Amino acid sequence: MAKPPPPPPLPPPVPSPVDEKRVGFEREALVHLDVLYRVALRLTGNPSDADDLVQETMLKAYRAWDQYEKGTNAKAWLLTILRHAFINEYRRKTRHPETVDLDAIEPFAVFPEVQDEDPQGAFFDRIVDDEVLRAIDKLPEAFRETLVLSDVEGMSYQEIAGILEIPVGTVKSRLFRARHLLQAKLYDYAVEMGYIKGSPA
Amino acid sequence: MNCRECVEHLYEFLDRELTPDVEREIREHLEDCPPCGEQFDFEELFLKFLRARCRAEGAPPELKKRVLRELFGE
Repeated sequence: MAKPPPPPPLPPPVPSPVDEKRVGFEREALVHLDVLYRVALRLTGNPSDADDLVQETMLKAYRAWDQYEKGTNAKAWLLTILRHAFINEYRRKTRHPETVDLDAIEPFAVFPEVQDEDPQGAFFDRIVDDEVLRAIDKLPEAFRETLVLSDVEGMSYQEIAGILEIPVGTVKSRLFRARHLLQAKLYDYAVEMGYIKGSPA
Repeated sequence: MNCRECVEHLYEFLDRELTPDVEREIREHLEDCPPCGEQFDFEELFLKFLRARCRAEGAPPELKKRVLRELFGE
């Protein structure tokens, strides 16, 4: 007697829209949790507020997930949400409003100071993580956020301009001054610690 | 390209934000001009140092759990 034909294979389970949303969100958004946390920490200045800010950002992002064009730039999209949340809900609470006149900050070039003694900037290597982060946290907010997005998270001028809602030219000038200001802070620290002689005052 | 123009483009060059033409002009200048070369090297090392010092930190594991719990009730 002929064998009965094998049963047809089961159709693959149809994912529910909720599952699909979740899978997509995990794949495209949750993978950026470290980036969001690092940026949040530099903006708020403390781990507990950074946690809350990231949590808030992820909630807002999940609710608005349908508006995000899949496969574009989730990192930039999330950072924009994070920054809005920071401005609206945390800035007043976590930091005093800044009254710094950014244009009055004269960039001080470190390279000419160290050119003869340490042109490779080896003194930087002796400065530990915490000291660098502390120096970044002392930068004016507009400089700090630009520098963090560029130098820590490696975002392009165009992406940064989009997130901060400023022209690309402003990104460039802020980045220039932020980097020089940070270099000057770290140089002063290195001189103080005796990592480098420095030029006589 | 002279030294002043070259240094004006320093960060855009290191950030890879220039057009290939300008980038090539800068490379050519740097090959012929050791002082500019030294300055570019110094700034490049500074940016590498900065990145290395600031990327160790990631989100605490507890935060990820908290986000998953909030979003998906886990």
